[in-house]
Amino acid sequence: MTDRPTVLLPVRILEGEPIPEGIPDLLMRAHVVLLGYHVVPEQTATGQARMQFEARARTRLETFEGMLADAGATVETRLVFTHEAQATIDRTIYEHDCLAVLVPNATNPPETVLVALRGRVGLDRTATLVGGLFGDADIDITLYHALEADESEADARAMFEAIVDRFVEAGIRRDAIDVRLAEGGDPRAAVTETAEAFDVVVVGESDPSVVTYLFGMRAPQVAESFLGPVLVVQRERPADARSTE
Amino acid sequence: MTAEHEPKRGTGTNIEGEAPEPEPEGVSDAVTVTEESELERTIGLVGGLTIGIGTMIGAGIFVFPGLAAGNAGPAGALSFAIGGVIALLVALPASELATAMPRSGGGYFFVSRSMGTGPGAVVGLGLWLGLVFASAFYLVGLGHYAAAVFTELGVVLAIRPVIPLGLLFGLALTGLSIAGTENTAVIQNVVVVGLLVVLTVFLSYGTLDSLGVFGRQTVPEAFFPRGYLPVLTTAALVFTSYLGFAQVATVAGDIKRPSRNLPLAMVGSVIVVTIFYVATIFVATSALGAAQLGTLGETAMVEVAREFLGLPGAVAILFAGLLATFSSANASILSASRTVYALSRDALLPRRASRINLSYGTPHVALLAAGGPILVLVASGRVEVLAEVASFLHLIMYSLIAVAVIVLRRRDPTWYEPSYRMPGVPVLPAAGALASVLLIAFMQRASIAIGFVVIAVGYAWYRYYADDVDLRGDF
Repeated sequence: MTDRPTVLLPVRILEGEPIPEGIPDLLMRAHVVLLGYHVVPEQTATGQARMQFEARARTRLETFEGMLADAGATVETRLVFTHEAQATIDRTIYEHDCLAVLVPNATNPPETVLVALRGRVGLDRTATLVGGLFGDADIDITLYHALEADESEADARAMFEAIVDRFVEAGIRRDAIDVRLAEGGDPRAAVTETAEAFDVVVVGESDPSVVTYLFGMRAPQVAESFLGPVLVVQRERPADARSTE
Repeated sequence: MTAEHEPKRGTGTNIEGEAPEPEPEGVSDAVTVTEESELERTIGLVGGLTIGIGTMIGAGIFVFPGLAAGNAGPAGALSFAIGGVIALLVALPASELATAMPRSGGGYFFVSRSMGTGPGAVVGLGLWLGLVFASAFYLVGLGHYAAAVFTELGVVLAIRPVIPLGLLFGLALTGLSIAGTENTAVIQNVVVVGLLVVLTVFLSYGTLDSLGVFGRQTVPEAFFPRGYLPVLTTAALVFTSYLGFAQVATVAGDIKRPSRNLPLAMVGSVIVVTIFYVATIFVATSALGAAQLGTLGETAMVEVAREFLGLPGAVAILFAGLLATFSSANASILSASRTVYALSRDALLPRRASRINLSYGTPHVALLAAGGPILVLVASGRVEVLAEVASFLHLIMYSLIAVAVIVLRRRDPTWYEPSYRMPGVPVLPAAGALASVLLIAFMQRASIAIGFVVIAVGYAWYRYYADDVDLRGDF
């Protein structure tokens, strides 16, 4: 798993949610942490669900593992019974130091990728991820940035030159990179609107509400807004971030 | 912080040929690791404390003060203090064992692993039924509060509504726990914190007023109006108010950072409720006098609040009492269901008893195994007997938990590595075991008889059903 970016793929393992079309191809250059999880209500002990469903969950997980491996990814699997999906996903991100989490929606073979940036926050990790996944492929990358209130267009352009250099370092061809700036407004709405034209969207985790928003809370709206898969780049976890409670 | 165990399974099979599930490979702060999968731990310290406190205050504050004052006079406060000391003497060994074995099933798990299947089965089946008796007791209390609402509204009913209301709530609770999948832990936390705030305000005001700060003349009376013996019989009666800390251990498999949070949640919740109970009896007897309190029965606290704060106070305590008894009953039904799971995992009950319902994801058989008998017991309406049998069955477990610590410290098996070690072994656990057994002696004859029958049936079931199963912890 030397140069492969580590991507977490969380799957609700028992609820008829197969790996959507196009996802194995999208992740062919990744090291995938395939997290199969099953959420049980509080009345149920997690061990109770394990006794009954572990064998079936394992079988499904292995099928998915095979699909990803066939496409070229390296895969590690985790199977977790939990009361809180978010706690499990967060823990797995931390334990595997995942660069990004994939919200899996179906896609065509990816040709265009939108990378939403918020300044330089998490830039290195975003560049490493995009470079690792799409570096040597024939894919158009669009870097997108919504101007903030106190930011001039000239400032943003200057910032972008440095950013583009960083992506080139990470292995993306300079001529595959397009830069797009948008005027103020609600940045999230702007990203949502722009995203429609692309196959894959990469966003940063810096805005936690985006993460919650993407994770199944309001699935119908998400499905309408982002028809394709979304990679959420994760902040670097501090080494001793564990045991916060 | 990973306790590594050899993943062995208990040996032998029950008469249906089911063997105990293998032990997990290890336990970390966030997860229990088994061979093929992981079990996430999701309850933090606050959640653990609210499980303990939420289960306990429903009884001690909202049901018992009138009964305790009627039996023992103002010395009822002493009865609660005695109960608190005994609970603490058991919470300490339970904490030590929980950090060495942070698995669902609590006291049953500790006893079966340290002393073998026979005592384990008796304690496990006793714990399940003890929780059933406790839930029935809370539901009758809830029925009293719901009936008091009708009285407050001036509605006159043709029949005494306590039992029918208790049954109704029992049905609703069982149904909700089978079909409801909302996140009730959050609600439980809010309810418990809200109750503690209301009670702190009320008791602070009441204490100051009772001490004469606002010019009140307290009712003068003897501290021991009926002598010393009623203090002990009352202690035995109200011990039901201290059963909740063991519920924390029943969900030990869900607690994050178990080595830190389990001891804090168990010992902390016992200390918190003891302070609240003693203050409550002091305030209540100061306000109305023990003799009058004794005539007011289960909802005496409503009248105490009316005495201090008028109608708004009465309404607030009425509402708080409904919430508190409801949350106690709810927590006990869920714990009973967890206990059934722990027993079936170890092949002491049929595996199908912990089957999960495919549409709701809840263990409907285990929940019905709690809800069904609860309704029968509620129909009996015998508050004091229900409370004492619940305490009896828990006290047997508590004494064995205390003994287990002594046994394990002496035998010192390699797998026994508690991260919290209680002080004063063997004196303190021996005192806890002895006090638990002695308290039983002060109960009503009927309660003691029922308790022994349950234990005998439990032991007979083990010999019939799972005689071959060996669970002693060599994992």
